[in-house]
Amino acid sequence: MSNINDFKSLELTVGDVFSKNARIKARNVNVFYGNNKAIDNVTIDIGSKEVISFIGPSGCGKSTFLRCFNRMNDTIDSCVVQGEISIDDENIYDKKIDVVPLRARIGMVFQKPNPFPKSIYDNVAYGPRIHGLSENKEHLDVIVEESLKRAGLWQEVSDRLQSPGTGLSGGQQQRLCIARAIAVSPEVILMDEPCSALDPIATARIEDLIHELGNDYSIVIVTHSMQQAARVSKRTAYFHLGKLIEVGKTKEIFTRPQHHQTEAYISGKIG
Amino acid sequence: MNNKFITPLEASDKVKKSIAKRRAKDNRLKLYGRVAISLAVCFLLILFYSIFSKGYSGFFQYYVTLDINFDRERIDPKGDLSDNSLFDGEASKIVNESLFSIIQPQGRKAKKQAKKIVSSGKDVRIAKMVKNDPSLFGTTTKVKFALDDDIDSFLRGYIKRETPESERRISNKVIEYIDKLNEEGRISYEFSDYILSGSASGNPEMAGIKGAFIGSMLTLSVCLLIAFPLGVATAIYLEEVAKKNKITEFIEVNINNLAAVPSVVFGIMGLAIFISIFGMPRSIPLVGGMVLALMTLPTIIISSRAAIRAVPPSVRDAAYGIGASKLQVIFHHVIPLAMPGMLTGTIIGMAQALGETAPLLMIGMVAFIVDVPNSILDPGTVLPVQIFMWADFAERMFIQKTSAAIIVLLGFLISMNALAVYLRKRLERRW
Repeated sequence: MSNINDFKSLELTVGDVFSKNARIKARNVNVFYGNNKAIDNVTIDIGSKEVISFIGPSGCGKSTFLRCFNRMNDTIDSCVVQGEISIDDENIYDKKIDVVPLRARIGMVFQKPNPFPKSIYDNVAYGPRIHGLSENKEHLDVIVEESLKRAGLWQEVSDRLQSPGTGLSGGQQQRLCIARAIAVSPEVILMDEPCSALDPIATARIEDLIHELGNDYSIVIVTHSMQQAARVSKRTAYFHLGKLIEVGKTKEIFTRPQHHQTEAYISGKIG
Repeated sequence: MNNKFITPLEASDKVKKSIAKRRAKDNRLKLYGRVAISLAVCFLLILFYSIFSKGYSGFFQYYVTLDINFDRERIDPKGDLSDNSLFDGEASKIVNESLFSIIQPQGRKAKKQAKKIVSSGKDVRIAKMVKNDPSLFGTTTKVKFALDDDIDSFLRGYIKRETPESERRISNKVIEYIDKLNEEGRISYEFSDYILSGSASGNPEMAGIKGAFIGSMLTLSVCLLIAFPLGVATAIYLEEVAKKNKITEFIEVNINNLAAVPSVVFGIMGLAIFISIFGMPRSIPLVGGMVLALMTLPTIIISSRAAIRAVPPSVRDAAYGIGASKLQVIFHHVIPLAMPGMLTGTIIGMAQALGETAPLLMIGMVAFIVDVPNSILDPGTVLPVQIFMWADFAERMFIQKTSAAIIVLLGFLISMNALAVYLRKRLERRW
């Protein structure tokens, strides 16, 4: 990387923050909650069709940073984001940018499964409906079916699409939320600790799913479980106290961490 | 010992000792609760018992059956069944003649007294009958007429035979006539056809609550149509759209204060603004509804805001996360989820408005209006004001009428609350 000196944060971040076919570029991002600095000068690239995991101890700002990518932090009044985040070279914090199409391009899956209190069908169809993605009823049916298939839920729910989404099990609900996110054909999927409320079997299903989805989407996953990061992602970024400490290939981060803080976290000394 | 850490043995000992105390406290608290609830239930039962046991007789009154000869020449002199023609007719006279033929009053004074036995609504009743069924002409039919309120009170035992004549509202002669009618089996105690279909009247035996009931319905509809959309919109704006700053805080405090303003103040405000400044007519349900809407607004706003705040943030996150705009989040998710709570608040506010008297007195809905209002622009009155007025009248029979009106008002209230429960159950999705 030739222009490495342009970025101050590199004084802090160890490893290769850049990506050859970057889809999202974050440059010198600072996030404040009131006077509280939650993210301190973070620079990172997220590649196309790449699964990257953010790890770090609680309160390190990884979820806050994740929510910068689809501007979910806008809903919090006291939150201020500085710096630049661009998707396909378009600055998403530009004043001209409307968050609605942005969020249609970047899907999000939350920590706790949060299906709408509607039927399974309506849950998945909601996004396509509000964005006007389907031409007619049949087309919408196809979108719903395809989304549920991709989320690995179709076989379990195909015969009860009209029953409530909240009646499913926790793992099924989370897959329903993933189906809902991919129903609007996003380019990137953000996952904020998607398995923290699930049992190991449901977690394994979601992880398999992330593997498969990684072939079509860029996926950013925040996780508390290092094993999960090791299993699902190609790259891993380690955050500590709002700073991005180290980024690298998952294998290398977990076997040969460069930074002493990363090493301490991975070996279980902090966090 | 004091400075030492407690050993597990000591600790378990102390816990055991404290348990008896705690249990006693728990049980005492439970007892208090049970006493409080049974007291409340007791009072409720007493209230209902006294109202219904005394009030139900207000739905009944005494009637006298007379044989009426429907002579067309006399009842309908012009022969076209028009109001004019029926007014010119001699229906009252026919009724009196029929009455006299039974009780045989002698002399002018006796006849005058005898006339009063049958309620003055007799000619109207005959006019109504022939209008509904002109084939009655030429026949002699038994017709029931309401008895005058004094006679009614006498038959109920409120006016006593033993009381000296000079202190009694009815004379010995009249009592004699009544006994005669009774002997012939012509007096009956029946469900009143005036209480539910009649309007305000100076004659208690003909007074009914239809006018007030319709007035209440019209006033409440105006109130609902104004207060519900305004209240819900305000709540949504304050909760979802407005930034939290000094101004919204100020508005919030003021709304909460408005909820505690005495209702009569709203009446004075309605009088000053709607009637004095805008020049709207007095006594109309439109103004009444507007005044009550102002009074109900704070209740609706406060409960709607609570309902909106109770919508789980995860649902909002989900909707925003998929790219819904603010309005879509509000209309697709927040409002449907908050609707049961909003409706509950609204119906509580409506029930409050239904029972309100003071502000309506201020805008003149206390006027004596005989006609049933046909629209929100016709002068009218409402149930609680009607009750208030009847409670104030001197005639003995108005006591029963008042009780009956209270029962109707309570029935109205209970059905509104039942509707609230039903709507909440239906809208509250159980998933």
